[in-house]
Amino acid sequence: MSDDAKSIARGLQKRDPDLLDRLIEQYQYRLFRYLVYITGNKERAEDFFQETWIRVLERGHQYNGKSKFEAWLFAIARHLVIDWQRSRKAQSLDSLTDPEQENPLQFANEKEPSPLHQVLSHETQENVQASLSQIPAIYREVLVLRFQEELQIEEMAGVLSVPLSTVKSRLYRGLEALRAVLQGGAA
Amino acid sequence: MSDQNHARAKQLIAQERVERISQAERDWLNKHLHECANCAAHGQETEQALRSMRTAAIPVPAGLASRTQFRVQLRLQELREREPKRRALWAACAASWLFGIVSSPYVWRLFQWFGERTGVPKLVWELGFGLWWTIPALFALIVLLMEKVRQGGEPDGMRQSK
Repeated sequence: MSDDAKSIARGLQKRDPDLLDRLIEQYQYRLFRYLVYITGNKERAEDFFQETWIRVLERGHQYNGKSKFEAWLFAIARHLVIDWQRSRKAQSLDSLTDPEQENPLQFANEKEPSPLHQVLSHETQENVQASLSQIPAIYREVLVLRFQEELQIEEMAGVLSVPLSTVKSRLYRGLEALRAVLQGGAA
Repeated sequence: MSDQNHARAKQLIAQERVERISQAERDWLNKHLHECANCAAHGQETEQALRSMRTAAIPVPAGLASRTQFRVQLRLQELREREPKRRALWAACAASWLFGIVSSPYVWRLFQWFGERTGVPKLVWELGFGLWWTIPALFALIVLLMEKVRQGGEPDGMRQSK
């Protein structure tokens, strides 16, 4: 693994405050995006974002630098969401996006348009968001990890704590679901 | 063209993005996509779907990172304050064990003497000797419980209400 991962591991073991500040800054977009995707709710994602970094501080000694830091970070975030979900006696990740109590995926923030927002038309954005919210959370999650975070399948298996074959089958199904909903939305 | 070929092409389109495909498979796929408009459209839709997903922007709320940094620093301070206490507890445990090992023959004789003097059955004073060693652990447990009760009484802005 890279020297960077090793130095992060050393810093986390020492609970280096500067390193933690830097990591929060560096991974804020990726972690927040992942949390929004798996929780389907921006406010909830904010809570989990903070809680994840507290957990990183407390459990930093467990990171050995042999895997990518982001994979370990996502695994922590995921466990927090699952724990919270269990405490609510929910059955699966999908219950986080229960249409009864919620809350479609909330991506856009009109106050701070990114360059991408400016490039893409508002209509297209809305279409993508609406379409993504139709995909079950377990598929949405693997799509994010693979195609946005660009994790390897082995790393994803670590994050999700499932066998490689499960990751692959979820990816195939997720890909098909994504293609189908976006095609449907465009039609 | 057979249905099998179209199915294989769609499978390879997905596989190319999920795993890897061999050069021979890629060559076959490219040739097929060149000849079959439906499968080519399927490939383009898949690519377009992924592109749309990648470009769906999720801005981070303003101040979230700095709020998180602040909370992490507070928690770090709290953990550092607790560390010396924990170290002292471990040191006390180690000293207790060491002293226990060194003094055990004398304690045994003390219990034996006490048993003989009071006429207590051998099994009882032997059991007493065994229980004697749980005293440091009980003491440590009481200290930990008191610490927990004290922490529970403090207002804790660190914990999140869920």
